[in-house]
Amino acid sequence: MNCKELVYLLGEYLDGSMEEHLRKDLDSHIAMCDSCTNFLNTYDKTRVICRQVQLSEIPEEFRERLRSFVVAKAKEHHQGIEKYRRMAAEEQRRQVEELLRAFREGRLSSSLSLLFDTHRDRCETCGEFLRAQNGGVVPETIPPNIEEHLAEFLEAIPAGEEPFRT
Amino acid sequence: MSAERLLDDNVLLEELRKGSPEAVETLFDRFHGKIFGLAMSILKNESDAEEAAQDVFLTVFQKAHTFKGNSALYSWIYRICVNACLMRLRGKRRQETVSIEEFMPVFTEDGMHTNRVEDWSKEVERKMLDKELGKVIKKFTDELSEKYRVVFVLSDVEGMSNEETAQILGLTVPAVKSRLHRARLFLREQLSRYLQEGKTA
Repeated sequence: MNCKELVYLLGEYLDGSMEEHLRKDLDSHIAMCDSCTNFLNTYDKTRVICRQVQLSEIPEEFRERLRSFVVAKAKEHHQGIEKYRRMAAEEQRRQVEELLRAFREGRLSSSLSLLFDTHRDRCETCGEFLRAQNGGVVPETIPPNIEEHLAEFLEAIPAGEEPFRT
Repeated sequence: MSAERLLDDNVLLEELRKGSPEAVETLFDRFHGKIFGLAMSILKNESDAEEAAQDVFLTVFQKAHTFKGNSALYSWIYRICVNACLMRLRGKRRQETVSIEEFMPVFTEDGMHTNRVEDWSKEVERKMLDKELGKVIKKFTDELSEKYRVVFVLSDVEGMSNEETAQILGLTVPAVKSRLHRARLFLREQLSRYLQEGKTA
């Protein structure tokens, strides 16, 4: 072990991740080398005093300007998301309403018609609701859970076939 | 929503996603100081740091839904901050920094210290409270190129573990250790010269 190797290994020596036999080698070198003892002490001290370096503080004027910016942007961002959500919700409702209208008026494609009839007969969530539609009753509102379920139903239809004639 | 619940990172993020103004305030109060300080230590200029801080908050709003809670919120935000700063640096001319090589220890052919190393650790302890010393150290750290400075600030100033620093910077742990070691060697040498000059002056 010489001074150069010691300097190279100092980080591990100090953070305790060093293997025992290496540590012993280093210890015995340090014991007989003044320069390395001093190097070790000053390296370690550098680490300690540098912890006291403070990050720059934000000037008051910057802080308030940044705060206004952040608050305004957060609001803007959220309004954007809300708008998108509303659009998505309206779109879903429109699709489900169209599906139900096509169902009442017998305009479903033949394969969808087969799927939908099975769904009507088996589904616990919307079976009853759909059977009422069969009698030609136009619902005043579509309950949210049924809308959600029918939207999922629509999404699960493979692409490539128009589900109903408009 | 009680203020206390917002101390939980996941709750805070959840409320941010819902657009709660209170959550925005909490996020700002908790992180703006650190973000600005970290940005300053990388960019070394107040208006650049301010713009970087703005970028950080925008990114946090846009990506709030992608935060999975696998890492701590602060390390996610620090990472965003470091990226925002490095993006900004990329667009600029490299700042003049001192060459770190000139401050690495010098050895003889058989690996001994070329010059005798003095021990100033006790001396500097007495100067700890000295404002002057604080300023000098800050100046020396600013002289490090950002490759070393960012690692140094996260690990030795902010007290993060090597693993956390590695995660934030997208580096391996050995790379963090090696950069940190070189940064410390540089600062040790700068301090030595500074204290030596003080004696001869």
